[in-house]
Amino acid sequence: MSALIVLQQALSVLLVLAGVVFLAGGTLGLVRLPDLYTRAHAASKCDSVGAGSILVGLLFYQGVAFDDLRLVLLAFLVLVSGPTTAHALARAGFRTGLPVGRARGSDDR
Amino acid sequence: MRWLGLALVVVAAATLMLGVADLPPHGAHDAPVHTHVGARYLERGVAETGMRNLVTAVLLVYRGFDTFLEVVVIFSALVAVVALPRGRAARSRDGDDQPPAALLTREGPAQERISVSPVVAFVVQLLGPFIAVFALASLYRGHVSPGGGFQSAAIFGALFIALALVQGRERAARLVPRGARVWLQALGPLSFALIGGVGWVLTGAFLGYPAEAAAYALREAMVVAVEIGIAVGGAVILAQLFMAMEG
Repeated sequence: MSALIVLQQALSVLLVLAGVVFLAGGTLGLVRLPDLYTRAHAASKCDSVGAGSILVGLLFYQGVAFDDLRLVLLAFLVLVSGPTTAHALARAGFRTGLPVGRARGSDDR
Repeated sequence: MRWLGLALVVVAAATLMLGVADLPPHGAHDAPVHTHVGARYLERGVAETGMRNLVTAVLLVYRGFDTFLEVVVIFSALVAVVALPRGRAARSRDGDDQPPAALLTREGPAQERISVSPVVAFVVQLLGPFIAVFALASLYRGHVSPGGGFQSAAIFGALFIALALVQGRERAARLVPRGARVWLQALGPLSFALIGGVGWVLTGAFLGYPAEAAAYALREAMVVAVEIGIAVGGAVILAQLFMAMEG
């Protein structure tokens, strides 16, 4: 195994691990933050970065080939749809008068 | 309490991991799923059906009856929803003309119509063509690669709902021609029955497919016809289910 491949796979693994860290952070935020707005913020921001990072990592894993165009498209889809969904959720919450602060049903402090 | 919860999680996780560790290795030829009828599908499925996607081969050829009735079940779901009294009519019959307070509002019935977010409208219009192409691709390539009529129906239906949310129900409803709607929503069962009948004439068995290698093109056309019926019928049913909900 040449040094280049080792370097390439190390980069890939690092990117995937970074993605996992971001996804874990987003999930923690989803569980711990107090209301819809902060939760949507945490989930969408960390999921976009996390999923994007994992996809870029996969892109590098076996060298870039033409088939990897699918991963690029997938990353584009994730980057567009995630923030849009969070925006739509937060906007719907705000326009229907969902209060900022504690969400209903969250008892832990 | 917290320690009890943690203990439960650890015990459940350990049990699941033990179970996973005991599974046959991925792809093992002597795994239980491969020793029954699956072995025959894998050995002769491609030759017998000419379909490289064996999931489609099993769904449409080996277990065609099962899938036929599944399509009928989906159609029955639409019939059941349409047969229910519409929400507002049912409420006014009870002498209460106010729509119920929306789940999220605190103000109650005085709820103004919320305008469509320009961001969401732009993104739906940006992604719409890609979604439509994806749905068509998974329909057309369904018998040679992952995908198929059901998946295509779900993607088309989701696209319809997204468009209806952004451009308004009236405009989205025009996508499904009113006159053809009654036939389109039954297209799944209809195409299945039609192709099944064709198979009956050709092979003497309902839902039979000609098995000769020379009949490959005919067999492929029959399968694609059923897939188109499932996709269009399923998509129209999803759209109708959405339209049947009071917005």
